[in-house]
Amino acid sequence: MAASPDKSARLAALLARVAMGDQAAFGEFYELTSSHLYGVAVRILKDAPAAEEILQEAYVNVWHHAGSYEVAKSQPMTWLTSIVRNRCLDQLRRRGVDTVTLTSDDDDAPEFDLPSDAMTPVEMLIAGAEARSVRECVETLEAGPKQAIALAFYQGLSHSELAAHLHEPLGTVKSWVRRALERLKNCLDRAGMGR
Amino acid sequence: MNLSRPDRTARLDALAASYVLGTLSRRARSRLAVIARTDTAVSQTLRAWEQRLLPFAESAPPITPSPQVWRRIALRLGLDAVRRSERGPWWARMEFWLVATLARDSRTMVVKTVGGAPVPSDKSLELWMLPDGGAPRSLGVLPATGVARITLPALPDVALANVPALAVSLEQAGGSTTGAPQGPVLYTGKVEKLY
Repeated sequence: MAASPDKSARLAALLARVAMGDQAAFGEFYELTSSHLYGVAVRILKDAPAAEEILQEAYVNVWHHAGSYEVAKSQPMTWLTSIVRNRCLDQLRRRGVDTVTLTSDDDDAPEFDLPSDAMTPVEMLIAGAEARSVRECVETLEAGPKQAIALAFYQGLSHSELAAHLHEPLGTVKSWVRRALERLKNCLDRAGMGR
Repeated sequence: MNLSRPDRTARLDALAASYVLGTLSRRARSRLAVIARTDTAVSQTLRAWEQRLLPFAESAPPITPSPQVWRRIALRLGLDAVRRSERGPWWARMEFWLVATLARDSRTMVVKTVGGAPVPSDKSLELWMLPDGGAPRSLGVLPATGVARITLPALPDVALANVPALAVSLEQAGGSTTGAPQGPVLYTGKVEKLY
């Protein structure tokens, strides 16, 4: 669920204490955030040790740079998620395009077996929209584009991986993603969810 | 990636969207990240897309990382609290046990600490006796591991049978310099006859 204002305020207060070297605040911050971030990382990397490594680096970074977090510019979870996702995506793209083996007979199941994942990426996207009261922004997207951006966002699939996974030409998938993002932007900005 | 063309704003927006979604290629990712460090228009566009998209990450079911992750973070940063789940400073959470046995002469006590968190190298555990109504009297510094033989002071009132309680405090390495506990008291317990 999207962070409530209360949770965001709590995390921002903890970060302020972490910036002053408060270890208890750091421990609490870790407890409140680590399982969300680990979920994000492991779905993208599909590799538990690599995801743990990135989580570790991210929190070491938080400890050293908590003072550079600016409340006015982003929510604590957004700031933290960007650190973790960017590290994951950089690593994933460094590994090369073809490391994720996509099976042709399996359209919907994630490649990485996550037994606890009862939700598909599209369901996660819809749940995320619901949590922000912008369900229609996601639901009005067509099925193909919606699935493309959900797979890209939650599982880190590249354009060519999306094309292989969805059995569509690369050009089609690229324009699906571009148009879905444009529509999402317009809808979210109208709802006050962009800046 | 040519960001100097007339349609710069629209192109930048599309690139930033793909960056945050995760579909940009490795080269384009790293180039945009480098430009964002010095170009505020680029970094602001990226941040706007983070505001739009990253809260969707919070709707993915959390997955708890292995406890090793926190331990490694705490170790790397040299944090006191290697365990995060318990509240309070680490020494308050020690599962501490003191086994003291008295030799036949009633003057030599054999002491062994059992369990408990490792004592940092700049600290020592010090054993005190707490006579009824009197000030604590030091019985010496406990070994970090293993067994200590402590000879009770040869004072008329001092026999273990007369000492109602013992205490262990956390002191600077080598023990208290004042003759009274200076650090936090970790443990107090009544003396029970085991013989």
